[in-house]
Amino acid sequence: MQIAAKANKMTNRTLLLFGLPAYVILLLFFVYPIILTLQLSFTDFRGFGEADWVGLKNYARILSHDRYFQQFLTTIKYAAFAVVFQTLLGLTFASWLHRMPRIRNFCRPALFVPAMLSTVVVAYVWQFIYSPLDGGLNAALESVGLGNFARGWLGSPDTALYAVVAVHVWMYTGYSTAIFLAGYANISEDIDEAGRLDGASSWQRFRHLEIPLLAPSFTIAVVLTTIGTLKSFELPFVMTGGGPDRATELVSIEIIKQLFNSSRFGFASALAILMLVVVVAVAAIQNAILRKNEEI
Amino acid sequence: MSSRIRTYLGEALVLFLVVVMLLPIFYMLAMSFRSASEIAAQPLGLPTSFDLENYSNAIGSMHYVRSVANSLGITIAVTFVVSLLGSMAAYPLARKSGRVGRVIILLTSLSLATPGFVTITPYYVILNNIGLLNTYAGIILVYIATNLPLAIFFYVGFISTIPRELEEAARLDNCGDWKVFWYVIRPLLGPATATLSLFVMLAVWNDFLFPLLLLTDDSKGTIMVSVYRFLGNFEIKPDKLFPAAVLASLPLLVLFVIFQRRIVSGMTSGAVK
Repeated sequence: MQIAAKANKMTNRTLLLFGLPAYVILLLFFVYPIILTLQLSFTDFRGFGEADWVGLKNYARILSHDRYFQQFLTTIKYAAFAVVFQTLLGLTFASWLHRMPRIRNFCRPALFVPAMLSTVVVAYVWQFIYSPLDGGLNAALESVGLGNFARGWLGSPDTALYAVVAVHVWMYTGYSTAIFLAGYANISEDIDEAGRLDGASSWQRFRHLEIPLLAPSFTIAVVLTTIGTLKSFELPFVMTGGGPDRATELVSIEIIKQLFNSSRFGFASALAILMLVVVVAVAAIQNAILRKNEEI
Repeated sequence: MSSRIRTYLGEALVLFLVVVMLLPIFYMLAMSFRSASEIAAQPLGLPTSFDLENYSNAIGSMHYVRSVANSLGITIAVTFVVSLLGSMAAYPLARKSGRVGRVIILLTSLSLATPGFVTITPYYVILNNIGLLNTYAGIILVYIATNLPLAIFFYVGFISTIPRELEEAARLDNCGDWKVFWYVIRPLLGPATATLSLFVMLAVWNDFLFPLLLLTDDSKGTIMVSVYRFLGNFEIKPDKLFPAAVLASLPLLVLFVIFQRRIVSGMTSGAVK
């Protein structure tokens, strides 16, 4: 009993004392920056000199211009498409690999390789693959007789956003696959075995046994990929710079442009605060809905 | 059709799809040995010779050695600080449950979800004010802050798997929390620190936005900034693009081949909790 009492003696004081250096850094370089951003968002700060308080002017400007509204819409659209396709592809690969133990240990890391590359490198390489001149994709389409589909993928506002989303999905599908495979590893063999003995087909087991049991993996995969895609900046920045015709202009690109092309620190801060609100709100709502699903 | 043949066919199909997913990487490797005119004549052709001219041009003009050294130096400094401070903060969090601990965990996860382009403005202003803009120390501080939450999560997960019995002998000898941490827990953290350092490496090596804006000196640039400055935004030449892409990715790909188990399981175990 005495041992247990001693082991439990750890106090809140220890908690704070041990963490003190870490918390000081997080306070100075996470909490304070957020407060500073909020503060700057009410000013017309231009990077140097005095900042004048302008009240809600920056926010009013964002809300009254269709252009910024479109950027938030594009960001959400980008995230929605990326999350849906990445999750579906990841789940598909995981359900196959779960049934194929012989090739699983090769395929899981192989699918992961694109996620090891830098987004900057991936963006450059795919920009060339999509290129209408000498690009690999159009040449590949022609070589299999689908030359009609060849086009300037990043040059047209109709296809550019989807082309960038496809690269994002390509890059991180292995990540979703690994999350679902980890979920599969937690499903007891007996349950699948019982389903098989009851004569359930592979599809029936997938639909009625595995999907419900994978609910926690869905929560993690969806919330993490949503946060990841809302963070997206480098891919569209390098591949299209927001064009053509603003088709791929995410909020992240606008923030960086405002900041470093026009030195509008105050306005960029207002955009950043709204973006942060979107990220936190989306993650919280998803988490709530998906957690509820897990209970059923 | 017998079930064995169906299994083989299914496996062959999935393997084929995985290879298709990897095609862009083979493409990148193959193109890096070809000249611009070869690519223009035959966009999908294989290299005819392993001509290293593209590579020697790229290594020279993108300051490869210098920027790799910059990236490595920053990674080592960040890993060292983050593993020490992260494990210290994690130890009591892993051993004691309570409201204070939950608030701290919530705050750290919030900072993990915050996009870099949201905090870049204040980082720029803060580093400018304290005179650390465009210095290694400045960007190292920023990376310490952005990687600490990950470190804390990592060590909390790892320390909670260490049996408490190991500490009890030391506690009976009247060791305080600090001595228990330093002499009992810390020596056991090697595997977690190894995985963590791989993640810090990935984060620092592949990051682009922070060094682009906070480390503007040409000679201080990290690897991805060098790639960006070398290639630019307009009229990208394939005989520059592909060798630069391979050079920038190769060290991490080698690291991944060696440590793939650690990286994949680390990424998902962190996620499953």
